[in-house]
Amino acid sequence: MTLSTRRPGSRLPTPVPAENGANGQPNSIVLGPNDRLVGQLYIEGDLRVTGTVDGTLEATGDIEIAGGGKVNGDVTAYNRLTVGSDASLIAGDVRVARLTVQDGATFSGKVSMGKHVPSSTPKAPQPEPQPQVEPVVEPVVAEAAVVAAREPTKKGKRR
Amino acid sequence: MDVQEAVAEGQASVDNGEVKRDGRKQFSMGPGDILEGKLIYDGSVHADGHVEGELRVTGNIDVATGASVKALLEGANVTLKGQVEGMVTARDKLTLGKNARLSGDIQVRRLQIDDGATLNGHVRMGDFEHQASGQ
Repeated sequence: MTLSTRRPGSRLPTPVPAENGANGQPNSIVLGPNDRLVGQLYIEGDLRVTGTVDGTLEATGDIEIAGGGKVNGDVTAYNRLTVGSDASLIAGDVRVARLTVQDGATFSGKVSMGKHVPSSTPKAPQPEPQPQVEPVVEPVVAEAAVVAAREPTKKGKRR
Repeated sequence: MDVQEAVAEGQASVDNGEVKRDGRKQFSMGPGDILEGKLIYDGSVHADGHVEGELRVTGNIDVATGASVKALLEGANVTLKGQVEGMVTARDKLTLGKNARLSGDIQVRRLQIDDGATLNGHVRMGDFEHQASGQ
């Protein structure tokens, strides 16, 4: 007759979304339009920003700045970076393997593309740096000095 | 091969290789053409083959897929599909097609980069004052 006094909600444990990469699923973070991040974020996985970020972002997967997303700061995506048509990226350094910028996007910064950790443009021939020779040279000099020292003695013997 | 006399040394306001399209002038190069020097042109340029030097045009610049360009480029709309080394200024929009490879700084009002394009350089965006055309 008597109805349970427990509220229906308390009968079922609330399922905790387990998508933090621990379960083998690719990790993915979404910053919604009302979200804001100030600081640094490193993520092993993908990142989607439709909110505001002031800081440095680094993702081993893709980064997508979409909707009205705004990012101020350096961005590194080991794979692809996408900047949507209403989105904005004002960066110092942008390091990505692949890059898509849609028409209408705001985008500025220094772009380095290629596989992860690209160095400066590979086309630029490396000028032979005149190395500031350090101790390495000294033995040679010393040897030369020894040779020079020997020379007169040989000559002396010949005489 | 539609080889045209498109070799212009030094200052050039070239009449060669000119095609009128929609009443606007177009300087159109073919895959075997070579342009070396500085071209200031009142119209649009279709760049193919090899270009080296400086291109400043009032209209649009488009660089074909197989083209190799080592030049400063300035135009209203600039569309790159080939390989470009040098500074690019687009008074309106710069488009990097999927096969484009650009190595150089760019200044644009609008920018579109298609997936597959390669870019290495500084990007500056926004309205900008006319930089001296006669540099």
